[in-house]
Amino acid sequence: MIRFAPQTIKQWKRFRSIKRGYYSLVVMVALLALSVLAELLVNSRALIVRYEGQYYFPTYSAFLPGRTFGLDYDYETNYRDLKAAFAQSGGTNWVLLPPVPYNAFETDFRDGAFPPYPPSIATRHYLGTDVTGRDIVARLLYGFRLAMAFAVILLACNYVVGIAIGCAMGFWGGAFDLFFQRLIEIWSNVPFLYVIMIIASVIVPNFGTLVVAMVVFGWMSMTWYMRTVTYKEKAREYVSAARALGASNVRIVFRHILPNTISIIVTFIPFSIAAGVTALTALDYLGFGLPPPTPSWGELLSQGTANLHAPWIVTSVVAAMTVVLLMVAYIGEAIREAFDPKQFSYYA
Amino acid sequence: MNTRPLFRLVLLGLVLAGCSGGEPSAPGASGSASGVETVVATTTRYVDDPPTYPSEPLPDGLVWETNLADEAYASPDAKRGGVFRMYMLSFPLTLRLVGPDANGGFANYIRATDASLTDIHPNTHNPIPQLATEWAFGADGKTIYYKLDPTATWSDGVPVTADDYLFTIDFMRSPYIVDPWYNNFYTNEIIDVVKHDDYTISIVGAAVKPKNEALFYYGLRPTPRHFHKLDENWVQDYNWRPAPGTGPYTVSRVEKGQVVEFQRNPNWWGDGNKYFASRYNPDTIRFTVIRDTNVAWEYFLRGELDSFLVVLPNFWHEKARGELFDKGYIERIKFYTDIPIPSQGMWLNMDDPILADRNVRLGLHYSMNVDLMLNQLLRGDYERLRMHYEGYGAYSHPDIQPRPFDLAKADEHFRAAGWTQRGPDGIRVKDGRRLSFNVVYGNGEHTARLVVLREEARKAGVELNLQLQDASAYFKQIQEKKHQIGWMAWSPQHIPAFWEHYHSDNAHIPQTNNITATDDPELDALIIEQRDTPDYETRIRLAHEIQQRIHDIGAFIPMYKVPYTREAYWRWLKLPEHHGVRMTQILFDPISENLRTDGLFWIDEDVKRETLEARAAGRTFPPVNIVDETWRVD
Repeated sequence: MIRFAPQTIKQWKRFRSIKRGYYSLVVMVALLALSVLAELLVNSRALIVRYEGQYYFPTYSAFLPGRTFGLDYDYETNYRDLKAAFAQSGGTNWVLLPPVPYNAFETDFRDGAFPPYPPSIATRHYLGTDVTGRDIVARLLYGFRLAMAFAVILLACNYVVGIAIGCAMGFWGGAFDLFFQRLIEIWSNVPFLYVIMIIASVIVPNFGTLVVAMVVFGWMSMTWYMRTVTYKEKAREYVSAARALGASNVRIVFRHILPNTISIIVTFIPFSIAAGVTALTALDYLGFGLPPPTPSWGELLSQGTANLHAPWIVTSVVAAMTVVLLMVAYIGEAIREAFDPKQFSYYA
Repeated sequence: MNTRPLFRLVLLGLVLAGCSGGEPSAPGASGSASGVETVVATTTRYVDDPPTYPSEPLPDGLVWETNLADEAYASPDAKRGGVFRMYMLSFPLTLRLVGPDANGGFANYIRATDASLTDIHPNTHNPIPQLATEWAFGADGKTIYYKLDPTATWSDGVPVTADDYLFTIDFMRSPYIVDPWYNNFYTNEIIDVVKHDDYTISIVGAAVKPKNEALFYYGLRPTPRHFHKLDENWVQDYNWRPAPGTGPYTVSRVEKGQVVEFQRNPNWWGDGNKYFASRYNPDTIRFTVIRDTNVAWEYFLRGELDSFLVVLPNFWHEKARGELFDKGYIERIKFYTDIPIPSQGMWLNMDDPILADRNVRLGLHYSMNVDLMLNQLLRGDYERLRMHYEGYGAYSHPDIQPRPFDLAKADEHFRAAGWTQRGPDGIRVKDGRRLSFNVVYGNGEHTARLVVLREEARKAGVELNLQLQDASAYFKQIQEKKHQIGWMAWSPQHIPAFWEHYHSDNAHIPQTNNITATDDPELDALIIEQRDTPDYETRIRLAHEIQQRIHDIGAFIPMYKVPYTREAYWRWLKLPEHHGVRMTQILFDPISENLRTDGLFWIDEDVKRETLEARAAGRTFPPVNIVDETWRVD
């Protein structure tokens, strides 16, 4: 049984009492869980196929060529067609498809009509398709997963670097501090979005290179806060006490100072996530983000604004973005409240 | 005609972005931040004592030719006058014809302020006179003699004489113009220009070429020697000085960052030329900067632009519809043309170890579902390109057909190359390598097309990784031969150029046009034989053999062509009865490089008044939808 410190329990209770932040967190966690299981919900591969007395579970397995199910091709089975074929032949074979039977890449064309196709329950394109006939629900969900993963990894990297350097600056002070202060001042003045655009136009970025590039220009913001907090904590009595007891620098930093700065770090997390998502979306929107055909909100947004005669594209993605960013902001606000040592503020 | 070929990307962007002017690249050099700077040409004479050149006697026995027998192709009903309003996506970086930044999209219009010695008739392909009234060929096969039109003057009234042509050589070879392309062309391709008297010159080219091709290739333009003061400040001094020209229009007003205006020369010498008569009718052409195609479209619908290029399927099918069209205020025309076609497709680099295998290349050909892309994504508007050299008349091989989407054949070829196994994701694997290729391309508009091909190619067990890059970075990568598959088009030339694209001299080295690393002794021999044969019939036969060999090697997967122009225009614009000519590029081009097919339309001010009144009163006209297939090839 894990025991939480009374302080933590108090903060959690306070967080729960802020309703919109708490429910935002619940919905957000649910969404993240859904996106992790996206393959079971939005996918062109069937969940279960029963064929000639055997069961197949294609979702997470290697691809099954059409010949597996008596079709005449070697490429990946089209399970929607397979389902229709089984239904027509009326045997004991059947296919169970996910609720949205499309993946984020396949182009679904229909004779006599040209994409983008409007939303339709009959074709199971619940939010319609984009200009190449790809399902918007699938693009949104997989794009969400990717953007969140990107934001979380970016945050982790930024914080590790930012906290380490900021802490060291505050703890050691002196020349080290001065040097890094100047370095950060100069480095912060590089317009990072432009630099990333220039990099992205020369090399084709992938997930990894994009994270690295963003970390190189994004680690600075955390350092200032960490530096100040460490300076402050270093001068407190408990640090002197630890030092008097013979604790090493490492022990003081990791066991005493860092735990006391956690509230600062935690309050910044939601806003850093929002910043990561918007940065990736902006880059994709401008065409400097992840290479096509990666599902991405920014790419959908640029399609939507260029094709206003197909309003379902721009509406879907703008609504999704607004909701997610709003929820992140609410969570952030609630966390900040919960970690605030003053229950009430008085303004004189 | 001996002007540097415009970068194809720029042109493609121009046409496919559906705009009618300007290049979609760098935000232009805008005016000063405080306000708009207006440039007005106050003088064109910057040189007090222009250079003159000695003359040499003419050789005997020259046979002078001309061609006044072909039909004029403008309408005698054309009315002169009016302001033709166009837009550009970005402001030009300079008004110079040569030097840094002078090769942008707007150069197409600036260059049209100058005429050439001769041109080709846009319907018959015969040579026709422009600044030269007659021409003759020397015995060495490399020299061409010209008699100049004595009525020709610069737009400032100064006569055009032989000295202006000789000055061109000094000018183009000068280091002060900072333009290596022209320095090189006028040194290595054009060897000399000789003055015989004030109105007779000869040009010596570097190599023997068939007569009509030499006329086109070696023809040069005069340069106003009273205007250009060549020194180290030339590039800066002349950045915004409108040069006097021999063409129908000259730049008359520049508002930096916003407007460029061209004015018709009232006493243009060309009005006396049979093939120029009744052309270039608007008095003024005004280009305004509108930085977004969709915004420009709104301007057009408001009647603030006169015509609009609607080649892109979504413009033609979605946007160019509705009330203004149904009520006949705006008309639409689809006009088929017959001109050399840009070679849009996938260029496979055979220096890549996997692509070196011919079976893999052919497998790729059969894995491309081009028809699905054309019919579903592009609405059947674009047509399948057959091969690299289409639209070159007799030079084009008549029978080569592109390889269709055929999974069985793709499988056969991939198996023959040893790619028999499929990995867990359905992509073929061999010795731990996946059958996966990077496709580099430079235009975000093309992503949708490549996405369709990519998804279909998966069925054949091939993976295409799309690598969208900045337009110049992408071209650089291909020029340095670092690509696996390049998605691009070569801008068409007047005659097929085989050596630069397929000879082994250009293979495996950067900065050449052999981007497939084609290195084939048999093909080399054919190319050299074809190049050195002056006999027309043999050249054609050899050209066909070369194209067959290129098709067999299979390093180019042809994609699509757009053999027409589609335009929307307010009904006060009028076209001749035949609408355009065989080589038309844009019907409502008021001027364009070469002065060949442009300027056929006119503005009818009476109709304009009538239309505006009718629109205000709610009266309508019958809708007009013209499809002209006169020059349709297939």
